[in-house]
Amino acid sequence: MINKRTSKALGLIALFAFLIVLPFTLKFHQQDFLIFLIINILVVVSYRLMTLTGEWSLIHVVLMGVGAYSSALLAKKLGLSFWLTMPLSGIICTLVAFLFSFPLFRMKQFYFLIGSFAAGEAIRLSWVYFKVPFGGPKGLRYIPSPKFTFPGLKEAIEIWEPIPYYFLTLTVVTLCLWILYRLENSRIGLTLHSIHWRDVLAESVGINIWRYKTLAFGVASFFVGIAGALLAHYLGTINPNQFAVGIMVYVLIWVIVGGTATFAGPIIGVTVLSIVNEWFRAFEIWRPLIYGCILIISIMFLPEGLESLPSKLRGVINRLLGKEEIEVNVPERMEKEEEVF
Amino acid sequence: MEVVFQTCVNALVASGFFALTAVGLVLIFGVMGIINFAHGELFMVGAYSVWYLYSISGWPFFLAVVGALVIVAVIGLLMERGLFRPMRNNPLGGLINSIGVLFILQVVAVKVGGLGLMKHVPPAFPGVVQIIEGVVLSKQRLVALIVSAVLLLFIWLFLTRTKLGWALRATAQDREAAALQGISINRISMLAMGLGAGVAGVAGALMAPLTRVQPYMGHSVIIAAFIVTIVGGLGSLSGAILAAVLYAFFHTFVTTYFGGIIATILGLLIMLVVLIIKPTGLMGTQTTE
Amino acid sequence: MALLEVKGITKRFGGLVALNDISFSVEEGELRGLIGPNGAGKSVMFKIIAGFYRPNQGQIVYQGEDITSQGASAVAERGLVRTFQETTLFQEFTVYENVLVGCHLHARSNLFTALFRTDKDRQKAVVTKTSEVLEFMGLTDRKDQLALNLPLGSQRALAVAIALAAEPKLLLLDEPFAGMNPEETFQMMDLVRKVQESGVTIILVEHDMKAVMGLCEKLMVLNFGQLLATGSPKEIRSNNRVIEAYLGSV
Repeated sequence: MINKRTSKALGLIALFAFLIVLPFTLKFHQQDFLIFLIINILVVVSYRLMTLTGEWSLIHVVLMGVGAYSSALLAKKLGLSFWLTMPLSGIICTLVAFLFSFPLFRMKQFYFLIGSFAAGEAIRLSWVYFKVPFGGPKGLRYIPSPKFTFPGLKEAIEIWEPIPYYFLTLTVVTLCLWILYRLENSRIGLTLHSIHWRDVLAESVGINIWRYKTLAFGVASFFVGIAGALLAHYLGTINPNQFAVGIMVYVLIWVIVGGTATFAGPIIGVTVLSIVNEWFRAFEIWRPLIYGCILIISIMFLPEGLESLPSKLRGVINRLLGKEEIEVNVPERMEKEEEVF
Repeated sequence: MEVVFQTCVNALVASGFFALTAVGLVLIFGVMGIINFAHGELFMVGAYSVWYLYSISGWPFFLAVVGALVIVAVIGLLMERGLFRPMRNNPLGGLINSIGVLFILQVVAVKVGGLGLMKHVPPAFPGVVQIIEGVVLSKQRLVALIVSAVLLLFIWLFLTRTKLGWALRATAQDREAAALQGISINRISMLAMGLGAGVAGVAGALMAPLTRVQPYMGHSVIIAAFIVTIVGGLGSLSGAILAAVLYAFFHTFVTTYFGGIIATILGLLIMLVVLIIKPTGLMGTQTTE
Repeated sequence: MALLEVKGITKRFGGLVALNDISFSVEEGELRGLIGPNGAGKSVMFKIIAGFYRPNQGQIVYQGEDITSQGASAVAERGLVRTFQETTLFQEFTVYENVLVGCHLHARSNLFTALFRTDKDRQKAVVTKTSEVLEFMGLTDRKDQLALNLPLGSQRALAVAIALAAEPKLLLLDEPFAGMNPEETFQMMDLVRKVQESGVTIILVEHDMKAVMGLCEKLMVLNFGQLLATGSPKEIRSNNRVIEAYLGSV
C-alpha cells in the first residue's frame, strides 16, 4: 500500500532520473533549449511569488538582466569566480528591487504595472546608453564560464558545453526551487496565500500587506537575478534586447496560462508553451501571433490556468457520473476583489 | 539661436502626434477602464495603411489617411466587441488581451509588409516652408500639424457640444450613473474605442511619410503615449493635450542636444516621479477612496 | 478611561456626507449595538474605526491612543479586529487553516525561521491556540472541511473564530446574523455572548432586531450619518425619532 508521501517521493525520483538521462538523448540545439527552459522555470516560479501578493509587475525580466549584467561585470572586471558572482548578483537584484519597492508600492493596481514598466525600461535603456560599463547596444561579450576545481586537479574544468552546463543549471535551479517550495509551505507561505485570496481579511488580523509585498518582491528578485547569472555565463554574451518588454510578456503568458494558485502552475505553463514554441520553430514568423492568440484564449476561457484543468476535468467527470457537484465559488484570480469599499 | 527655433518648430509638430495618440489612449481608458497596450500597434497599422493605399495603390494622400482611419477604427471596434467588452469588469484581463492583440498585429504587419521590413513612403507634399532665416518646416510636417490640430479641435467640439459627446463624458465619469440615465454603455464603448483607435491610426498615417514604416514602430509610440497620459492624468483629455505639448518640447529639446535614448530615459523617470507624487497627473481629479 | 472613544467623526464621499460629527464611547466589557436603516453609515463607521478608511474630521482613540491615521493591520496589532459584512473567509482554505491565519500576530515567522523551521515552540503554541479557538466556536468537528463547503451558520462562526484568533480586545461584528434562520440566529447569539463573557468588548452592527435587543445592553441608532439616540433597548424601542427613522425609510 503506497501512501501519498511515498508516491510523491517516488515521482520525484523518477522525474530526476528522467532529467538526468534526458540531455544525452537530445540533439545539440535541443540541449540548449533544455537549459533555457530550466532557467525560465526559475524565472516564472519566482515571478509567481510576487503575484501571490497581488503585484503583477513588468520589471521582472529587467531584473533578470540586472542579475545577468551584475554577474558578468563582477566576473569580467573584478575577476571573481562564478560561484561568487552568482549569489552576489542575486543580492544586487534584491537591493535594486528594494530601492524601487518604496516608490512602486505606493502605486495602486495598474499604476504599479505602468510604473514598474517605466522603471524597468529606464534601467534597460541605461544599458543601451552607457557604453561604459554596460557595453551599449551591443552589450557585453566574453563573459567567462564557470570553473570547477577540486584538490588534485591540475587544471580547472571550464563548464561551457551544453551537457555539463545543463547539470550545473539543473542543480542550481533545483536548489532554488526547493527553497521556494519550503517557503511556500511555511508560515510565510500561508500568509502570502491569505493575501492572495483575501487581502482585506488578512489585513484585519494584523497582516501588514506592504511588508509582505516587499518580502515577496525581494525574494523573487533574488532568484530571478540568479537566473540571469546562469543565462549570462552560458551565452557568454548579453545585450539589452534580451531583456526587453517582449520577453516580459512571454513570462506573463507562461504564468497566466499555467496558473498561479499552485507552485507547479507556472512550471506547467512555461514547459508546455516552450515545447509548443519549439514545434512551431518552422513557423518562426507566426510565433508571436500564436502566443498572442494563446494568451487571449487563455484569459477568456481558462483564466485559472492549466493547473486548474485537473480539478475542472474532475468536475466534468463527476457531473457525467451524476455525482453531486460542489459549488466552487473561487474568485477570479485576476479580478481585484471588490470589497465593500 | 536658429537651432532653438528649429527645435521649437520640430517640437510643435511632435506635439501634434503625441496629442493624438494620447487622446486616443485616454478615450479608451476613460470609458472602458482598460489600458490598451496595443495602442502603438494601432498607430503602426495606420502607417501601414497609408503605405499600402498611398504609395502602393496610388490613392490621393488625404484619402489614404481617411482609409487608415477607417481601417484602424474597424480593428478597434472588433477589439472592443470581442476582447474588451467581456473584460469590462476585469481591467487586468483587458490589458492582457490588448497585449495579445499587440503580438497579432505585429505579425500581420510582418506578413503584409513582406520581408524587407522597413517601408519608405514618399512625402505627399515635398518641399519646405521657410519660417525665418535658417528655420525650415517641411510641408509634409506642416500638413501633419494642421491635420492634427483640426482633428483635435473636432474631437473637442464633439465632446463638449454634441449630445453623444456628452454621453461619452458622462460614461467616463461614472459608468453606473450613465447607465441609469439610459445611456447604452455598449454603444458608448464602441464609440470611444472606434474614436480612440481611429485617432491613433490617423497619427500613424500622418507619420508614415516622415519616418520608416516597420512592424515595431509602435514600441516607442506606446512609451511616449504612456508618459504623456500619466503625466497629464489618465482620465483627463485636456491634461493629455497639455502634457503632450510639454512632453513634445521636452523630448525634442533633449533629443536635439543629448540624444533620443537619454530623452526617453528621462521621460520615464519623470513619469515615475509623477506616479509617486501625484498619480492622478497634472489635471486628473482625485478619486475618493 | 473608555476602551474606545469616537470623537467628532465626519466622513464625506464626494458630495455625500456619510457620517456627520459622530461621537460616542464604549467601555471595556460592553456589548454595544449599532443599528439603523440601510445606508445609515454603520459599515462606514466600522471601517473608519478599524483603519480601512480615513475620516475627513475627527479622532478615534483606542486605549488612550489616537489611532485615527493608522492602517488596518496596525490597528489589529493593537487588539482591534473587525469582521466583514458579506461572509468573508478564506474560502479555499480549510477551517483549520482559516483560523491558523488568524493567529498571525503570534505566529509570525521571518525568512530565516520560515526556511529553517527554528521556531518550533512558537508554531506549536499556535497549533494549540488554533485548536482552542475552534473548540470555543464549536468548529472542531469541521476543522478539515473547506470553508466554502460550510453551512451559513458555521461560516459566520468561522469568521468570528478567525477574528478571535487574533486575540482582540475590541471586536467589531458587522452584521453576523444576516440571512440566518431563527435556529442559526439563536446559536449565533449564544456564541456572541460566549465571546463577550470571555472578556472581549464587542460592538455589533445588525439589522436583526431580535438579536440586537436580546444581546446588547446599550444601543446606538444611526440614520443618514447622524447619531439619533443612545440608550437601553427599552429606551430605544420607545424613542419616537427612532421609530420615525425606521418607518420613514420603508
